[in-house]
Amino acid sequence: MLEIKNISKSFYKKEALADVSITVRKGEVFGLLGPNGAGKTTLIRVINQIIAPDSGSVRFNGDLMTQGDLLKIGYLPEERGLYKGMTVHNHTLFLGRLRGLSKKDVLTKMDYWFDRFGINDWRKKRIEELSKGMAQKVQFVCAVLHEPSLLILDEPFSGFDPINVELIKQELIEMKAAGKTIILSTHNMKSVEEICDRAVLIHESKKIAEGTISELQSERKLGLYAVRFKGSMIAFVNALWTGFEIDDKDILGDDRFVVRVKMRRDNSFQDLLKVLVGQIEIEAAWEVLPSMQDVFIALTKEKEEVVNEK
Amino acid sequence: MKNSLLIALREFKERIGARSFVLMTLLGPAIVLGLIYLMFTLGGNSKQHWNVLIADHGNLLNSKIMPGTDKAVDYSFYNGVITEVEFADAKKFQKYDALLEINEKVLTNKVGFVFFREEPDIRMQSKVKFQIERRLEEILINRFGKIELADYRKIKQPLTLAFSNVYDPNDEASDLAGWAGLFYGVLIFVFIFLFGMTILRGVAKEKSNRIVEVLLASVSPRQLMLGKIAGIGFAAFLQFAFWIAIIAAGLYFMRENIFIDIFDAGQMNLEQLVIDSSDLSYQESQFASREYNHFIELIYERMQFANTTGFFLLFFSVGYLFYGALFAAIGATTGSESDGQQFVLPLIFLLCFALYAGYYTLSYPESVMADFFHYFPFTSPVVVMVTLLQGYAEGEGYQIYLSLFILFVSAIAMLGIAARLYRNGILQFGHRVRLRHLFKWLRKS
Repeated sequence: MLEIKNISKSFYKKEALADVSITVRKGEVFGLLGPNGAGKTTLIRVINQIIAPDSGSVRFNGDLMTQGDLLKIGYLPEERGLYKGMTVHNHTLFLGRLRGLSKKDVLTKMDYWFDRFGINDWRKKRIEELSKGMAQKVQFVCAVLHEPSLLILDEPFSGFDPINVELIKQELIEMKAAGKTIILSTHNMKSVEEICDRAVLIHESKKIAEGTISELQSERKLGLYAVRFKGSMIAFVNALWTGFEIDDKDILGDDRFVVRVKMRRDNSFQDLLKVLVGQIEIEAAWEVLPSMQDVFIALTKEKEEVVNEK
Repeated sequence: MKNSLLIALREFKERIGARSFVLMTLLGPAIVLGLIYLMFTLGGNSKQHWNVLIADHGNLLNSKIMPGTDKAVDYSFYNGVITEVEFADAKKFQKYDALLEINEKVLTNKVGFVFFREEPDIRMQSKVKFQIERRLEEILINRFGKIELADYRKIKQPLTLAFSNVYDPNDEASDLAGWAGLFYGVLIFVFIFLFGMTILRGVAKEKSNRIVEVLLASVSPRQLMLGKIAGIGFAAFLQFAFWIAIIAAGLYFMRENIFIDIFDAGQMNLEQLVIDSSDLSYQESQFASREYNHFIELIYERMQFANTTGFFLLFFSVGYLFYGALFAAIGATTGSESDGQQFVLPLIFLLCFALYAGYYTLSYPESVMADFFHYFPFTSPVVVMVTLLQGYAEGEGYQIYLSLFILFVSAIAMLGIAARLYRNGILQFGHRVRLRHLFKWLRKS
């Protein structure tokens, strides 16, 4: 769907992107992750042809991207603005027409989206009269109105209350189900785990990791396993002996627990299960993968340490 | 193109929907009409009574000027030749404020010379001119037994009175038509700056509220800039059309109700004029009731609407494109909305410079600098208007087209430069504008 090859971009003496290559597949939700100032927004602007790269290329559906392809892209920038003096209706109409829709089409789609988001009553209101959350909804509608095949969202959840975050998430899940491709740039790692198929991590203008969410988590796994059991906690601790270390525990009831255990020496998950069998009643056991938050922190820290060592 | 049109339409609707647009549409013409009214009703501070000595060595005027009395001017006649030096220094002439030289040629070339001691205000100058002009009409009509069209035109041809200071005869006379040109030029610049600042503020605002990023995901910076300039330009044209209509209606109202045009030679029946001219009592009744009408003189005879409107609109449009692109580029290079404010002062200097160039041309129309200002795109919209109303010398009419061509080419170049600055500057936020940035953006393709 989208092939970004060796993109580099500098502003004055500051390098914003250094030889970044990414491939986004059709129908996937692709996470664009990285700390503030890493170069994510610059990359998004390059994709949208808002700024030209110093070198590298962007291909859309196999061909070099053109101005015409922009009509197939929906873009919700992080620092999004609206014309405050315009009404919701006129603003949506204006942006819809700019994205190539006829007036009739805009009005039909506007009805659909305004109904869906419950913002029909605000049509005649001026943008400046809306709350931040309301304005965010209008912005989201403006980005998806023309039914783009690729949707680029830069921090789409910022400014929304938890209910509206869920609403947007559900919309994205439905769009994915409808075969749309979504690039999601966010710091909300929970939502990355929930809806992204793959992700890339950019740090200090360079790509430092790319893969499916589980691949990224697996690469950073900490040798941590969880066991849910019924029985005595003392029996559990005694059974572990010296080859394992309890990392954390949750009490589920009077005699039910979930305990996370770290392996010591060369002990494996199998060894853990062997020592526990007969001591407690094991309900479930699994490998604990790091959260995307942990992956994010670990990767960026690693990168910084490498830089410091140099 | 379609995107530029959509942007232009949005801008246009936003401007005409703004309260300030409605306010300026009504207030602007009201101010202009008010000023015109004050200009013609308040005489100014200069001397209200004049003693004029007419040196008429051929006794052309037959020692009389107009039947009836005009308390503001006393005329005395001297049937001989008086030099300026004599008039300036001789004791016997000191009681006269001005010397008017008349000879037989005035009937054909319609040019007379007035040497004054203290410059009279425009009202007084016009009064003298009017009275002499009417007296000459009287003489001409009496000379022609049966009037031919050519003769009638000779009568109708307005008199030019060159006013000069008797102590400094080379000082050029006040040029009413030139001032009218300057007024046109000022009008062009007022509109260009009003709407130019709207462009600047609009671009800076779009940058600061970040809507520009949403727009740039659909349109190119060049389309965005052109749409903005065009949309605001349409609004400027519309407002300008309202101004013209309101001012024209106001002037018509003034002509009909305040500055009543009693004597309109254009409306007179020629044969009746010849018959009536022999009847002294008729003449007296006509002249006595007539007073010089400055209003009609300036607005209906000097402004040359038919000549100037076309060029005015051309220079207004191309000048707006030139300056509009400049303002858009400045708006795009600002780091924040408040940054735009710091450019207001230099832009006002630019405005003053252009207006000064117009004034300079009015004072020194033949100077090299006036020629330069005539072609220099920053000043030409004002200067050409002044020169146009002053009149181009025969065979030099091409200069106006040359100036327009230079302005047009400059506007295209300015649009190119502005598009480059716009493209590279529009997504730069929160920076301090430095000259080296501008050069860098200009070099970047």
